[in-house]
Amino acid sequence: MEAYLGIDVGSVTTKFALLNKYSELITDLYMLTQGKPIEMVQQGLHQIKQQLPKDVDICGVATTGSARYLAGVIVGADLVKNEITSHAVATLQYAPQAQTIIEIGGQDSKIIIIRDGVVIDFGMNTVCAAGTGSFLDHQALRLNMSIEEFSQRALTSKTPVRIAGRCTVFAESDMIHKQQMGHRTEDILYGLCQALVRNYLNNVGLGKEIKPPIVFQGGVAFNQAIVKALQEELGSEIIVPPHHEVMGAIGTALLVHEESLNNSNGSKFKGFGISEITYHTSSFICNACPNQCEIAQLSIDSQILARWGGRCDLWERSPSSQNKEIE
Amino acid sequence: MRVGMPHMGNVYIPFKALFQRLNVDLVIPPVNNQRTLSLGVRYSPEGLCIPFKLTLGNLIEATELGADTLIMPAGYGTCRLGYYAKTQEQILRELGHNFEMIQVGISEQKLFGILGMIKRLSNNASWYKIISAFRFGIAKLNALDRIEQVVHKVRPLERIKGTANRLFVKAVKAIDEVDDYSTLKKVQRDYIDQLNQVPKDTETPPLIVGITGEFYVVLEPFSNLDVESELGKLGVEVRRTTFVSEWTKFSLFLNPLGMDEKDRIHKAAQPYLKRDIGGDGWESVGEKVLHAKKYDGLVHLAPFTCMPEIIAQNIMTSTKETIPVLTILCDEQLAKPGMLTRLEAFVDLLERKRRISNNNR
Repeated sequence: MEAYLGIDVGSVTTKFALLNKYSELITDLYMLTQGKPIEMVQQGLHQIKQQLPKDVDICGVATTGSARYLAGVIVGADLVKNEITSHAVATLQYAPQAQTIIEIGGQDSKIIIIRDGVVIDFGMNTVCAAGTGSFLDHQALRLNMSIEEFSQRALTSKTPVRIAGRCTVFAESDMIHKQQMGHRTEDILYGLCQALVRNYLNNVGLGKEIKPPIVFQGGVAFNQAIVKALQEELGSEIIVPPHHEVMGAIGTALLVHEESLNNSNGSKFKGFGISEITYHTSSFICNACPNQCEIAQLSIDSQILARWGGRCDLWERSPSSQNKEIE
Repeated sequence: MRVGMPHMGNVYIPFKALFQRLNVDLVIPPVNNQRTLSLGVRYSPEGLCIPFKLTLGNLIEATELGADTLIMPAGYGTCRLGYYAKTQEQILRELGHNFEMIQVGISEQKLFGILGMIKRLSNNASWYKIISAFRFGIAKLNALDRIEQVVHKVRPLERIKGTANRLFVKAVKAIDEVDDYSTLKKVQRDYIDQLNQVPKDTETPPLIVGITGEFYVVLEPFSNLDVESELGKLGVEVRRTTFVSEWTKFSLFLNPLGMDEKDRIHKAAQPYLKRDIGGDGWESVGEKVLHAKKYDGLVHLAPFTCMPEIIAQNIMTSTKETIPVLTILCDEQLAKPGMLTRLEAFVDLLERKRRISNNNR
């Protein structure tokens, strides 16, 4: 059986999706990155391998997410794609009529505007991470509850309080203020959800024409309270697709499948065996010019697989031959 | 007297040529780098823009190298830039540096202001000598910009990524070193030839993306993390109307004669913005309207906290001429991975759009 693997390594979570050639999901995996992208990719591959039907042949692998280049080198990706394109492709597979995609992840949030099945515009949070999953996590932790409990409690609110959502720092102090005034926790929680939605629409959604059908995905879409707040604010139904948390991974898998049709060379996938290899990462400061770039490198034993992080491409060009040239 | 000045792209090269011919001792601080930025950020008020921070860093590094006379542009009606020279002077004095600050009025005095400043710095050299040195500086400026325009065309097509950039670095160095018109001409021709001969993948014509926005962040690659070069790597040809040589040509010579290249841009912006709002905000809006038909997309560069460009950004989202616009806010927090993600997605969007419109044709 032909299968295509998509891996989405985000700031907070790592997602895997394995599709068959009919673009159906065979298996998926959702795990916390915990600041260890390499180990998580290895662990994920290991787990996927265990769930694999016997006769599966991996015909293409693609990576996305903020660690897509790193993950791409480790697994031998045939395609490395940004998360915006990946999300759009996956959504269109499940909801071909979608005109707006709202995606809120661990540390970024995006809006993708689609008309007639083509992405015509997108926005991504720029200098501010307000309204993303990490902030919700942080607040849940501060109130000593799990993020699941957060959502349940918030939904019971009857008179939500207004929280300043312009900036997470102000939102937090405003929340504390409301707490000390004696407002109920659930009202504060739902107020926070409304603030995040307002913040999202005012920043990321600025100037974008948000038309239904609206699809909401990403890890934060687990949070029913945010879904409800979005619905109220936009006055429209919000579709949360199944597997919304692994949409990025599904999207890259779809893309690599599409690409493999025009390419008969076969996959560069390094096999499930790589979950056994020990990778080393290290970094150094390049002194070739006054920029003092921090160059990160990935190696197995003493063989360097990849380098990146420079302002110029001095270290990125054929990493193995660089040693002689520079040192 | 040792003269120091801030950087903006390769502008130091024409100034170096000009001052060398007049025997003015010019101190050129290191080109913008991480240290410049760190120095600038450390001593600047936080809410100021990246042009302020980088130029302050340059001035600090120039004084470290012994500059005792600093040149900094100033002017009214532009934006906060009008106060930058004065503010930087105060910061530098508080840091204990001893120097004379010369403000160059770029909005009111223009040509005469600049020539007057040169006359003073050159210890009263003859006008003949000043004009001929000035002409030579401008010749270098023009050569640099001509070559850069070719680089923009070659980058998206080259077979080995980075070839055009490496040639451009060499060309800049060569132009910096020449000392007469005929060699300058030859160097310019040589490099343009070499660039045109770079092996290419010429199968598909590249996507064309216009670059617009605030003058400094458009022209200083360090501040925009080499956005043009990154777009080139993604197979996109960039076009921009902002070149220092163009600015000089019009602002110093042709505007006084009543010719204004910006008339066209301002006219295009009229339905949405009727007047100058400082900085280059008016031009950004006008360029969006003008380029909507010709280009595939537009990258709008703005310094974080730049009021004129923020106004422009908000107007640009609602014009009836539609073209995908990607606004990039440049400041010390701008990180390359984030920028690349946005650029990649933007280019994907443009490519898919082009594919669909080709299929419909």
